[in-house]
Formats: sequence, structure tokens, C-alpha cells
Amino acid sequence: MAARQKKLIAAVCAVVVLSGADLIRLARANPTAFAPQVQDNGARRIISLVPNVTEILFAIGAGPQVVGVSSYDDFPPETKALPRVGALLDPDTERIFALRPDLVIVYGSQTELEGQFARAGIRVYAYRHAGIGNVLQTMRDVARLAGRTADGDRAVGDLQAQLDTIRARVRGRPRPRTMLVIGRDMGALRGVYVSGGVGFLHELLDIAGGDDLFADIKRESVQPSNETMIVRAPDVIVELKPGNQPATATLQRERAVWNLLASVPAVRNNRVHLLYGDYLLAAGPRLGRAADTLARALHPDAFLVAEPKGPGR
Amino acid sequence: MLRADAVSFGYGDSGFLLSDASVDITPGSLTGLLGPNGCGKTTLLKLLCGVLRPRTGRVTLGERPLAAMTRRELARHIAVVPQETHPAFEYSVTEMVMMGRHPHLGVFQLEGPADFEAAHEALDATGTAHLAARNYMTLSGGEKQRVIIASALAQATEILLLDEPTASLDLGYQLEVAGLLARLNRDRKVTMVLATHDLNLAASLCDRLVVMREGLVLAQGPTSDVLTGAMVRRLYDVDADVQFHQRAGHLTVVPVGRST
Amino acid sequence: MMPAAATTPRPQGGIQVRLTAILLGYGALAAAVCVLAPLVGSTHISLARAFDRSIPFADNVDAQIFFVARMPRVLSGAVVGATLATAGVVMQALLRNPLATPFTLGVSAGAALGAILVITFGATVTIGVLSPVPVASLAGALLAAAIVYALATRPGRTMSTAVLLLAGVTLNSFFSALILFVQYMADFTQTYRTVRWLMGDLDVGSFEPIVASLPLVLLAFAMFAVLPRSLNLLSVGADTASTRGVDVARTQRLAFLSSSLATSAAVSLAGPIGFVGIVVPHLVRLMVGVDHRLVLPASALFGAAFLVGCDLVARTVLAPVEVPVGVVTALLGGPFFLWLLVRKS
Repeated sequence: MAARQKKLIAAVCAVVVLSGADLIRLARANPTAFAPQVQDNGARRIISLVPNVTEILFAIGAGPQVVGVSSYDDFPPETKALPRVGALLDPDTERIFALRPDLVIVYGSQTELEGQFARAGIRVYAYRHAGIGNVLQTMRDVARLAGRTADGDRAVGDLQAQLDTIRARVRGRPRPRTMLVIGRDMGALRGVYVSGGVGFLHELLDIAGGDDLFADIKRESVQPSNETMIVRAPDVIVELKPGNQPATATLQRERAVWNLLASVPAVRNNRVHLLYGDYLLAAGPRLGRAADTLARALHPDAFLVAEPKGPGR
Repeated sequence: MLRADAVSFGYGDSGFLLSDASVDITPGSLTGLLGPNGCGKTTLLKLLCGVLRPRTGRVTLGERPLAAMTRRELARHIAVVPQETHPAFEYSVTEMVMMGRHPHLGVFQLEGPADFEAAHEALDATGTAHLAARNYMTLSGGEKQRVIIASALAQATEILLLDEPTASLDLGYQLEVAGLLARLNRDRKVTMVLATHDLNLAASLCDRLVVMREGLVLAQGPTSDVLTGAMVRRLYDVDADVQFHQRAGHLTVVPVGRST
Repeated sequence: MMPAAATTPRPQGGIQVRLTAILLGYGALAAAVCVLAPLVGSTHISLARAFDRSIPFADNVDAQIFFVARMPRVLSGAVVGATLATAGVVMQALLRNPLATPFTLGVSAGAALGAILVITFGATVTIGVLSPVPVASLAGALLAAAIVYALATRPGRTMSTAVLLLAGVTLNSFFSALILFVQYMADFTQTYRTVRWLMGDLDVGSFEPIVASLPLVLLAFAMFAVLPRSLNLLSVGADTASTRGVDVARTQRLAFLSSSLATSAAVSLAGPIGFVGIVVPHLVRLMVGVDHRLVLPASALFGAAFLVGCDLVARTVLAPVEVPVGVVTALLGGPFFLWLLVRKS
């Protein structure tokens, strides 16, 4: 062997030996030793990928404990100032780690992500989307994890009370067959999506005193054809739309789209309601307000004594 | 009748495929464009039928430049038999032949008795009438070539251009097609120009030759004048015996060896 | 290549006779399907009641179902089916390839990009009284066609089918990549709506969208009408067609433009419904031969009947759940091609 090659081998061996100690230490290191531990009085650095849960955290006063939110978070306004870490499809794990959380709220389907955080020793709460009962349970769970059990219980109690009040208010009144529309192409009666017999919207409708037109279809969302809508003939049509109420001309045009179904009782009796507001589609603490708005649309006579609520968030 | 005056052609900057070629096709003649592959004979043929436009010079029919004529008009005077035809769909022989009637029909006009007459005549003349209902794709090489010739005949033109009409055919079919072309030229007075690299075909069929090599016309004139041993050596670097064959009735070219 | 039948199958008789027979025969089929389809559905209706003038229209549920839900649907199915089938025939002749579809050159990818952009970003924008998604998908489709046209055309020269194909396939890939990117940025609902749009939807609800698409459709068909014989010649070879008197450049441009306009109109009306543009031409060629003068009108009429039939299956087979019509055409189209392949090998 040439002298040059011998020197090269010697150099490599030296490097291996000298760094050997470090290499061994690295190989035996436990990654969880680097992660912050959850305090006994609740998580102090919470990251939430689920907008609903972020809302819950702020509602129970755990806002200051939130250090990162998803790309889709926008309520309450304080979330806008917080760092964004992605969402369901594109969670930015590097960013999440960089924020050194002690609790991460993920979606139930993000199992790989869960595994990653578990290996890093970071506490994970997996949110699974279901009905109102699930929302209440989530509020309790999250409150406990954030060390605010009492606040959580109180929030749950308030919400429950709101819903019970509404349910009582409309009790005994005839329940109209209601089509709860959650999506539609602008300006046309195409791509109509309605609530099916499952999920928090279905349950809201039930609380607000309406019978779900598609209760028999056990899915959260259903896309009915024009024919189906004509045949099922709802008594009331309620459209839930995010954002603010648009200008009058637009509002009238969108309302007029339904005139195509001329034989449907909801159209003939002018019981088509277009309700605007992000809170109407948020499965969180604002459900009480949503139920109230919905009930007022279905049973206006039950609310004559109170001032009608305006549109908004 | 059909003239090319100092035409040249090339694509882009890649040099000329054909330089300064002048050819005069007289009515009733059977002219051969003869030369090795790449000599420009196919290019010249395409210039003569107007498929390509010359970079310099011009091609005239009668006294009219081709560039001044519409494709329809041109198609009523000049028909072309390409080397190979690959239809994308399975047309019948009749449909293939009827396509030759296109320049005689208006946009929405359907074929009438005159067109059917022309097609049948063409099929008869090429001996393919019995194949009329057959799928073109199922024919043999010789049959296909004859059908294409029939299609060109149905076009009822004075001039017929052919590109290597016998190149992919067996010997028997070669003779068949050559005989057919000779007959058409003689009996129906169809002026023909055929591009070929087959010396013996040129010798047997053509009364005039245009000899080409590397994009240039080397010589043109009556076959017996142009087709000599010296010319064959110039074209192909091959020593050959060019002799009149008694039994065949025309000149034959027999290669003897490569010239040194 | 596949071994072909020794004799091309077609009924005897001159071209006039055959053309008349086709127009009458396929015309009757299309008419019958369009008349009967609105009568069939997941709900039973009484035709007598639907046409009973004494009942006010707003009260007559049977009439509502017939005229509001089913008729527009059948008509849009007929228009879209006829349009896509004919555009497919023309595209196959232009590209000299029986496997070409109306979507080969990127028009539907452009339409999809337009639709997804509006669904994801512009959901509150409407253009006058027109709904944004159809308008955006039309714009996207025409843009894609314009790009391919610009890439493949040189003034006075014929289009090279190779360049055309390359330009179209490249545009398809590029637009598809853009679509994936936009989809990645969309939220759940938007993604779902996009995916649903891609499956096709004939439930237009009113006659307005159909009427709005008619100018383009009629223009396309006017262009189709002058093409058939030239397409015959073109499909034998561009040079051969030229020597037979066809203005090849003009024919190619006309074929490309008419097919693109037709496809753009169809896709903006009902989304990109696949397989109609390739199954129908193939079926028709099996029945009437390959002469484009017969194949074009037959495909238009058969295409209308075919799509209306598929939509009928889509809305009844799993009632009350509706299967998207694009899924039905795909489920029929796939096995059809497998059968073709097996039959020929």
C-alpha cells in the first residue's frame, strides 16, 4: 500500500476513535429527555392544529397558554397574532418542535404525527369530530389538560344551559321539516350540500325545534339532486353561510335561486332563510349562539319578547 | 407542361436538400427521377406537386406558377402516389379510391354517378375491382400499391407523380405495377414522373431520365442518352454493364463491382 | 397492430342512402331516449298529471319534477353527450389516433384549473348573473386551447401532429400540477367540491345554463359540418390529403378550434365527463364504418342518447343516493376497452 493511503486510513481511524465517545452517547440518548414536561398544573405551551379546539382554549381562559395555532385559525382575533404551524394536510413539524410545546392538539386522523410527538415525549390530544356531546367532552378534556378544569366545567355548563333554554323555548311547537343547507354554488342551484342525520348541525337543528329533512341518511353531509329536493318538499330551508351578510342585491339574488323549486312549501310560504356567520358552522363554545339564531329562524313567534339578533360573527 | 425553374429547397439553416434544379416535364412523357438515397428526388417530386414551396426559383404548370393555384385546382391536374400510405382508420378499398374524387366535389356534395364511374374505371384499370369491399389494411403490398394508384387515377388528372412506387414490393408485384404504369402512360396518355433509385425500373419504364446526386441534377434527357456506365459510376461508384436486352426490350443495368 | 376484419362492416347502399338511414335511425334513438328519460326516475310521476294544465304549476309536484328537475337534466345530457362524442371523433381524426379524446390536448385540465381556482379562492364572486364556476372553467378551457394552438401553429404551415400532441400533453401535466398545488391550499369543503365537480354533474336545474352554452355549441357544430370528408383524407396522411386538394393547414385549424370550443362548452356546463368522447366514436365506428361523413352525425346522436342513458342509470341505480355521472361513464368505459382489447388480440 502506498504511503498516502496509509496516512488516510490512519486519519479516519483517529477521527472515529476521538468522536467515538460522542457517537456512543448520541446513540444511547433518549429524545424525550429534551422535551419539556407537562406541568402538574396543566400544559403551559399548547399548540393547536384544530381551530375548534383553539376556540375552546380561549373560551376557557387558556388563551395565554397557547403558543401556536393552525393556518385556518381566525377566532378569536388574538389567534391572528400567533405563529401558524400548518393544519391537517401540511403540519409544519419543524416549526411545532421549535416552539417547544408541552401539549399538541391534533386531528384524530393524523396518527403518524401523533406517533412522532409521542416519540419526542410531547403530550398529544387527538380531536375527533362528532356531535355536540363530543364537543362538550372535548371542552372538558382540553380544560383538564390545560389545568383549567373548573373553567372548563363552567363553560360546559353555560353552553349546556344555553342549549337547554332554547330547547325549552321551542318545546311543544310544531316541528317543521327543515332542509339545512351547508353549501351551494354561488348564483345557482347546483352543488347543494345539506346536513344529513348525523353530526352537530343535525343536532343543532333538533335543539332549535326542526325535523331534519334528511335524517334518514346517516351521513354528515348529503348532496341532493333537484328532484330529491322537490320530492321531499321541505317546510323550511335554512342556508348556513360563513362570513358576513353580503349587499342586499347579492342577498336577494341568492335567495331568489330557490324560487326554482316552486312547488316546495318552504318556497311557497316564503320560509327560506339565509343565515350568515362563521359561528353558525363552528363546533365549539359558540354553538349556543348558533342554536339561538337557528331557533329564531324556525320559530320566530317563540322569541317575540326579545330583540332579534343581528348578523355577524 | 410542368416545369421547375432553378428551384432549391432546404429546412431552416441545415443546408439545401436540393439546389438549383431545373426540370421540364413534357406531356405524355414518363420521366424518371433517378439517384441514390438523399439525392433530393423526393424533394423535387414534392416541389413539383406543390406540397413543398421552393426557397428559390418556381414551379409552373402550363404557364401558371403553382403558388398561384389553390390546392383544389392543383389536385385536378396533378395526382400523387406516395411511397407508403398508412391510414389511421380501416377504410375499405372503395372508400380509399373515392377519396381521389375530393377535388371534384363541393364541400357538402356527396359523390354522384360520375364519381362512381371514375372510381370503377380506376379499379378496373388497376385490376383491383375484385377488392372493392375489402379492408385496405388487409391487402398485400402489391394490392395496396395498386389501390393507391387507382385512387390517384380516380382523381382524373393529366399528370401523375409517384414516389418509389415499387420500393417495398416483391419482384412479381414490381413487374405488375411497372406494367400497369406503362399501360396507363401509353393508353390513357397520363404524363408520369416517378422517383426511384431502382436503375432497372427506370431503364425499363422511363423514356426520359433526370439523374440526381446530393441535391443536384447531374443530367437529364432520353433514357438511352443519359443511362450509361459512366453515369452509373458517377451516381453510385459502381462499375456496371449497361446494355440493351433483347428479350426484355429495354436497357438493363448489371452491376459488376465497386469502382476503385 | 391488431388484425382487422377482412371486410369493413357497413350496410350496403350509396353514401346518400346510408347517411339518410343513419340520421333517421340514430335520430330516432336519441329522440326516444330524450323523451323517455324524464319519465323514469327514483320517484314515480304521472305524465298525465304533469301535463295537466288545470293544476297551477307551482302546486303540481309531478310537473315540477318533470320540467324543473328532469327535463333540463336530460337536455343538458343530450347537449353534452353529443358535443363530447363529436369532439372526440374530430380529435381522433386530427391526431390520426383512435385513442385520442376531447381531453387529450389539455382543454379539460384548463377547465378544471379555472373551476378549482374559483372554488378555492373566489367563492363569493359572480360575473353578472352567471355563476362563477362555469364561467371560470370556460375561461380556463379556452386559455388552454389558445396556448396549445399558439405552440403548435406557424402561419401558413401545417400543424405537426407530433408537436400538437406534445404541446397538449405538456399542458395537461402542467395544469394538473397547478391543480394539485391549489388543492393542497384548499380546505376540506373546497377540496370536496372540486373533486365532486371533476366527476361531472348534469343536474343543471334550469334551462339557462344550457341556453348559455348553445352559442358555442352551435358554432362548433357549424364548423364540424364542413369537416367530414376532409377528415377522411387527413386521416390517411397530411401530404396525401394535400395532393388530393385538401387545405391541410386550414382543416387542422378548423378541427382543433371546433373540437376545443365544443369541449370547452361541454365541460363548463357539466364538468369533465370522461369516456363519452372515446367510447361513443368507437362504438359508432363498429356500427357504421369509418367514413367521417357517417361517423360524425352518428356520434353526435348516439352520444346524446348514451350520456342521457348513463345519467338515467346514475340517478336511479342506487336511489336515493346519486352516483356522479362521470363515475358511471368510467365504469362502463373501462370494461368496454378491455373487451375491445381482448376481442382484437
